[in-house]
Amino acid sequence: MRAVLTTLGAALAGYGAWLLLSRESSAQVREALTWLAASVILHDAVLSPVVIALGWFGGRLLPRWAAVGGAALVVLGPVTLIAIPVLGRFGADPTNPTLLGRDYWSGWLVIAVVTVIAACVGARWRELRSPRGRQQEGRVHGARARRRRRSHRA
Amino acid sequence: MKVSATAASRLTPPGPDSFGSRLRSAAVAARVGLWLGVCFGLAMATGLISHYAQQPSQPVPFPTHPAWGYRVTQWLHVASGTAAIPLLLVKLWVVFPRLLERPPRTLRRLALTVLERGSIAILVASAITQLTTGLLNVSQWYAWGFSFRRTHYALAFVTIGALLIHIAVKLPVIRDVLGIDIDATMHDRPSARHHGALSRRGLLRLSWIAAGTAVLTSTVGTMPGLSRLSVLAPRSRAEGIPINRTAADAQVTTTATSPDYRCEVTYADQRLVLTRDDLLGFTQHTHTLPIACVEGWSVAGRWTGPRLRDVLAATGAPPGRDVRVSSLQQHGGSRVTILPADFVDDERTLLALALDGEPLSLDHGYPARLIAPNRPGALQTKWVARIEVLG
Repeated sequence: MRAVLTTLGAALAGYGAWLLLSRESSAQVREALTWLAASVILHDAVLSPVVIALGWFGGRLLPRWAAVGGAALVVLGPVTLIAIPVLGRFGADPTNPTLLGRDYWSGWLVIAVVTVIAACVGARWRELRSPRGRQQEGRVHGARARRRRRSHRA
Repeated sequence: MKVSATAASRLTPPGPDSFGSRLRSAAVAARVGLWLGVCFGLAMATGLISHYAQQPSQPVPFPTHPAWGYRVTQWLHVASGTAAIPLLLVKLWVVFPRLLERPPRTLRRLALTVLERGSIAILVASAITQLTTGLLNVSQWYAWGFSFRRTHYALAFVTIGALLIHIAVKLPVIRDVLGIDIDATMHDRPSARHHGALSRRGLLRLSWIAAGTAVLTSTVGTMPGLSRLSVLAPRSRAEGIPINRTAADAQVTTTATSPDYRCEVTYADQRLVLTRDDLLGFTQHTHTLPIACVEGWSVAGRWTGPRLRDVLAATGAPPGRDVRVSSLQQHGGSRVTILPADFVDDERTLLALALDGEPLSLDHGYPARLIAPNRPGALQTKWVARIEVLG
């Protein structure tokens, strides 16, 4: 099974590489290779460290309720990246009103607000549902328990 | 010397053990990866369908039924690619510590590691490039000098090939972790113990929500009922059927509005020269057919005009022949297209003169355009100037 997958994979990748290198001018091939290299570098050396740093500082410096922001970011981060081409309207054509014809900044704002509200509601609901949360509901010194948990984490 | 030991450990470069979150586990990676694989498989299959539909000569003719086949498959193509973006980002976040693993010392293991790492580098590079260029292309942001179509096609094989190799390498781990509970720690790094605010199930749920949100807000801009929710979609129904190439872009405004406009129809040595009024003189038929773009949008319209096969019959051409359709355009892609015989003979294939009860607008192909069922939008030739029945 693994040998079949490896052989098939190598054959397909090889065919794709041959297509890539043989069907276009050398300048176009060079540009495509630049895109490939830039993809990895931008993800591994720029985006990932930024996200990891956000998680690291968020986990240590911000209060526990800010974890809601982390959950919202899992949705809002990728959706915002996906929105870059329309937010910047880079492909707009003045003669074609049927392309990029929406108010994208307002749309993004609505998504951001809905995501943050949903994350807060979700977090509150989970808190109420968990046995620890239910216990805390009836107690005045819930905050102390939370502090204790946080110091335990560190 | 406790202090200096701490200082020394601070100075060592970050490695896999610098990451303590329980979320970074093979159990999570395999589950996200499974759906990522489904998305990539769907994108590959639907992409191949589109490339085949655009082949000028097809050993097995592309079917004319169902009329909505192309619009559904190409929406699936863009939707699966869009859904893959959040999933890929989550997947790469989960496995990031592995990037920092130190290479093994023995030569044999080192060679294997280089091969495996190399295949993963190719997979990540081609996957990100495919998703990014695809996303940009949908909003017509052409930030490159290469042919998008050729490069996207070639890299699709590279991506799927590297993905199959990746699955082959990881198969034992995948089998192990998919067979047990998501919270099990089999194959986890010993350091991945820290319970954060988010559980593994929570992260998976958020990943599905992110993928769903991306699809809903970006890809259903022309779907009735959902169009308004798709606030980030490059297209909408606000201006009717969207347009890719305008008459101004194609530089046909003068020729298309000229009183000298003629549509030339040829078969062998027969030659028919028709004005728009001549075309209106044929029996007019109305069919509801979509314009469906490879960019994932589609809108159906009520097209009215003579059947293509009726116009061809006026030259004495028999059925069962391919046809070459040329536009008034002087340059640009799809200026000349081949319409396969099964499309030519289909009773729903029209030389459309009107859309939704109004004469065709200039940007929709006035004086006459081709409209056929289940056909890529780019090949629904606008501003038709010549139709040649091929031998």
